[in-house]
Amino acid sequence: MPQTIMVVDDSTTVVKFVSFSLKNSGFLVVSACDGMDAIEKISTMSENVDLVITDLNMPNLDGYGLILALRENEKHSRTPIIILSSEDREDDRIRGMEVGASSYLVKPFKSSLLLNEVSKYLTKEEVTT
Amino acid sequence: MPNPDALHKKIQEEVSLLADSINDIVKKFRELNNPIDESKEQVPIATEQLDKISEQTEAATQRMLDKVEKIVEREEEGIAGLKRIKDYAAKNHWDEIAPLVDSLIEKADTTCADALSIMDALQFQDITAQQMNHAAALMEDIETKLKRISGVLQGDMSQIVSQEEEEAKKDRAYDPHADLFDKKTDQSAIDDMFAGKQ
Repeated sequence: MPQTIMVVDDSTTVVKFVSFSLKNSGFLVVSACDGMDAIEKISTMSENVDLVITDLNMPNLDGYGLILALRENEKHSRTPIIILSSEDREDDRIRGMEVGASSYLVKPFKSSLLLNEVSKYLTKEEVTT
Repeated sequence: MPNPDALHKKIQEEVSLLADSINDIVKKFRELNNPIDESKEQVPIATEQLDKISEQTEAATQRMLDKVEKIVEREEEGIAGLKRIKDYAAKNHWDEIAPLVDSLIEKADTTCADALSIMDALQFQDITAQQMNHAAALMEDIETKLKRISGVLQGDMSQIVSQEEEEAKKDRAYDPHADLFDKKTDQSAIDDMFAGKQ
């Protein structure tokens, strides 16, 4: 059964681009437009979310808030979370690490780099670039 | 004949009121100075962001056009190749067909990779949207400050932007440092940093 990845970004372009790359590699993709939307969707979804890819700067609830909320939830305390942000400063990476992110990718990025990062957490057999 | 003491007291009161008014005006002008200085600093930042948008949009579009040009060229070669296959098949030249098919498969793979790189380049939309949001936020901030100055100068308090109005304008999610080309850190360095914590 394909693994499910949640993509959280307020940019529809990024959601579409990331979803295309992931679906093309055999993953199921669920998207959310901000942290609040992600929490609502995760809490009502019947299937398990195996990995979360999130932006940082988003309205309502930003990426840091989302990661904190997920880490406080027993079910998602160990779910891999990849930050996808155009913030290319060490401060942001340190903060991301402190709130519990597993990895950090700086935008813009190549789809191959994203898939490589995903393959570190999800079974490699699923990823075919 | 007015009482000199009363007149003296009256003059003292008037001078005191005048001094208070002058102090008040000076204080208001001092308050106005900060927004003007801040606005002066923000205009070049907003201009820089807009220049960046123009430059980066052009570069990304150029990259995509180059790829599209190559795809179109390859498609034309592909069509020509298919016509040749048809001719070879009609003449029963089967040995000629296999290498031609291999070359067409290679072209199709390259086209697929080019399509993916066009998608990569399309991320410029997200980056420039953030740059535009940053520039817009700076402009809104300048507008708020100018309204405040205008309100103070005209004594028209309705011109002064309310706190709620000001906060509502700040509800924009963007990264002020978003840049299409200026990546400072290598991904492996970031990975090492995150691996170190685990």
